[in-house]
Amino acid sequence: MNDALVHIAIRHLTKRFGAVTAVRDVSLEITRGSFTTLLGPSGCGKTTILRTLAGFYEADQGDIFFGERRMNDVPSHHRHAAMVFQDYALFPHMTVFENVAYGLKIGGVRGEELRKRVERVLDDMGLAGLGDRMPGMISGGQQQRVALARALVMEPEILLLDEPLSNLDAKLRVTVRAELRQIQRRVGITTVYVTHDQEEALAISDRIAVMHQGEVVQYGTPWEIYYTPQSVFVADFVGTANFLRGRIREAEAQWFTLEFGGRVIRVESPGQGLRPGEEAVLNIRPEAIQIASMPPADPGSNVLEGVVRTHTFVGQWVRYWVDVTLQPEAVPYEFVVDVPDPRERGILEGRVFLGLDPRKIHHLQGA
Amino acid sequence: MKRLLREPLLLATILTIFAALGLFVIYPVLRVLFYPGLRDFLALPGNERYVTATLHTCVIVILSTSSATAVGFLFAYTFTRTTVPWKGLFRGIAILPLFSPPFMIAFSYILMFGRNGLVTYTLLGTRYNIIGWHGLWLSQTIAFFPIAALVMEGVLQSIAPSLEYAARNLGASGWRLFRTVILPLARPGVAGAALLVAIYVLADFGNPVMIAGHYTVLPTEAWARISGWGDVTGAAVLSSVMLIPAFGLFLAQRYWVGRRQYTTITGKVVLLTPPPTPWYVRWPLFAFCTLVSLLILCVFLGLLAGAFSRGWGFDYTPTLKHWQDVLANGRALINSLVFAAVAATVSSLLAILASYLVSRKTFPGRALLDFVAILPAAIPGVVFGIGYSLAFNAPPLDLYGTAAIIILSLMFWNIPMGYQTGIGRLKQIAPSLGEAASNLGAGSLKTFWDVELPLLKSSLVSAFVVSFIRAVTTLSVIVFLVTNRNAVATFTILNLANDGYRGAAAALTTALLTLTCIVLALSRLLFGRNVELFRI
Repeated sequence: MNDALVHIAIRHLTKRFGAVTAVRDVSLEITRGSFTTLLGPSGCGKTTILRTLAGFYEADQGDIFFGERRMNDVPSHHRHAAMVFQDYALFPHMTVFENVAYGLKIGGVRGEELRKRVERVLDDMGLAGLGDRMPGMISGGQQQRVALARALVMEPEILLLDEPLSNLDAKLRVTVRAELRQIQRRVGITTVYVTHDQEEALAISDRIAVMHQGEVVQYGTPWEIYYTPQSVFVADFVGTANFLRGRIREAEAQWFTLEFGGRVIRVESPGQGLRPGEEAVLNIRPEAIQIASMPPADPGSNVLEGVVRTHTFVGQWVRYWVDVTLQPEAVPYEFVVDVPDPRERGILEGRVFLGLDPRKIHHLQGA
Repeated sequence: MKRLLREPLLLATILTIFAALGLFVIYPVLRVLFYPGLRDFLALPGNERYVTATLHTCVIVILSTSSATAVGFLFAYTFTRTTVPWKGLFRGIAILPLFSPPFMIAFSYILMFGRNGLVTYTLLGTRYNIIGWHGLWLSQTIAFFPIAALVMEGVLQSIAPSLEYAARNLGASGWRLFRTVILPLARPGVAGAALLVAIYVLADFGNPVMIAGHYTVLPTEAWARISGWGDVTGAAVLSSVMLIPAFGLFLAQRYWVGRRQYTTITGKVVLLTPPPTPWYVRWPLFAFCTLVSLLILCVFLGLLAGAFSRGWGFDYTPTLKHWQDVLANGRALINSLVFAAVAATVSSLLAILASYLVSRKTFPGRALLDFVAILPAAIPGVVFGIGYSLAFNAPPLDLYGTAAIIILSLMFWNIPMGYQTGIGRLKQIAPSLGEAASNLGAGSLKTFWDVELPLLKSSLVSAFVVSFIRAVTTLSVIVFLVTNRNAVATFTILNLANDGYRGAAAALTTALLTLTCIVLALSRLLFGRNVELFRI
């Protein structure tokens, strides 16, 4: 990556709390103007990294750079990295206007300019006319915007967001995240976003750093994270995964096959570096599996026979849990299969055939 | 630490607080401990008076603590889990002793039940005399059971009524329910309340000096050493002896029981009415609460009657003559109020600032600051007073006979009140608020001033109120520090009562109480009604 484009550099960051290592030797480079998400389950260290960037935690080891400048010893109130808190942290004893004006006042902005800048940002956020309200008198969505306005009015170069949407209801969350992305694009501000919601991360980010037990396990675009996860953890945490565990049977330049429960699964992706006999894990997403009550005519597909155990209908798609009997295991293997727009075909029951498209099976390199 | 050096103002504040607490809390206590030599301590078991005072102290601490805790528990249980009639009224009466000078109860009981007592002599015609250990026991029980009641009220309240309903649903009721559900859950709270009461009983000076007669306890014996014989060494030895159990009780209360409480204060009050109490529980509790309430009202009644009667015990014609004595002692009254107001203001601000630093900042010595800020709660007032008289009676800091020595002693003696209130409140304020201010460019002290302090306003006011009441009503701390120049009302009342001017003493106490109430009413007007009092 070109150095001039790197806005935030985290180098070998380690942070401990007593005996617990919250962040373990993490290095990450974040491009200027990008929207980067730290994604992971609770306790994975994502919030710790964000709070270290904000200056609320001191790094035990490693360095933080904003551009060329090493930030480790810069106190939080001199970092100019505006943060939006999970609980918004609006000052309950100040009006909306005073909340937004607070940082500007500390910066020495006074009088007419102060009023103009605060009102402009309130307008932009759709908060015009709410300036005199106390935070307790406005809705959750509005509080969320005030928190964002209070950060953006500082015209910071870096915006830090700590699960800012987690207190909103599901529908509002989708609307606000689209707005957030638009504002970020318009202002061009380097944004670091923390969430445990994989769907939100995929929807909003330029790049995602998936974290697990204090380490970044994969860093890439949402596309890369979803379609080419490097580990079982990433594949499982982002989206739903069907894992096929077995041994490599044949490996050629353009394809390879896997012995899976007494069957042979063909995968159309380069087999270089794979040795017959070694263990491997493949992943296929539920929506990439074809399901039908008759065996498919296309012989190129991997076909497995199974029985529908149960299903759930959520409107735009139906999800099946299909038991496939494998050898030598006694317990059947359970596949998750999603069928979009199920209206015409209705709900399948009993014996079914699963088609695993050889082009849509992904080999987990780092598993 | 590097961060701290980048905020010199914060660093200076922390250092100043450390220096102040070191000089005005630690140093006086060390002076008491090191004033006597080893030989003086070794002579202690051979001194019959000392041994007697120590034994008496042990006995009365056990007696009064048990009775106050028991009465407190019954009150708390009545308030929280029964349908006893008038329980709100009982609660209102029960907290009255908290507002009164500690010696007032003893003094009033002498008026009511002494040799010339209104009840014992005038009404019943006996020559019963309450002076002695039994009088002390009664006064201390009445004086300190409200503390136990308030602590246990919190504990019992936090036992969700749904638990009681659940137990009933499973078939438990009556005594079985109480024994198997309520009591086990309340046990840590009861232990905590008992230890807290024991600390107060041990340190109590006002009641024994009034009513104990020849039954000397450690604080009164220390006072007798100095006032009677000018024996500072002896007083310091006795104070040091007192510090050991005081410290032990304090540590047990804070670190042992404090961590074992099953309750967590969430600020969420579960509103579920308790199931109706059976009549054979309700009416005995009602009778009991009525009796105790009458004993409390007796105190105020006796005081008022004393203040307006010509000659106690023989001539009850109404008179205003004692109020001339009040006017004559106007100086002491004003001193009391002014000293207490100044001390309480500075003390609560300092305490709240310290609680902010401890809860929100990391710096070397934070645990130490936390410890020292609550330490004065463990030090009996007498020890604190003797410590000040020893520490600040010579250059470079000669404060003998000044207003400053009284104000400083009251200020630092009350630090734990504001400090604990502040810590409690800060636990309820999301740390993200301070972080948000910092994120927007505010330094540590600006964050405190702009964000935390306004949110701590109600705690600040209640800290002020509690500190003020304690400062106005204390006798033990100031008794070793006053001279004619800086006399305060409680000391004058003690002298009047000891010299037999009971009417004047009663009138002066009434005046002091009235003025205190006026100040409290004013502070309530100024800061609004939202003030929690006596959150122990």
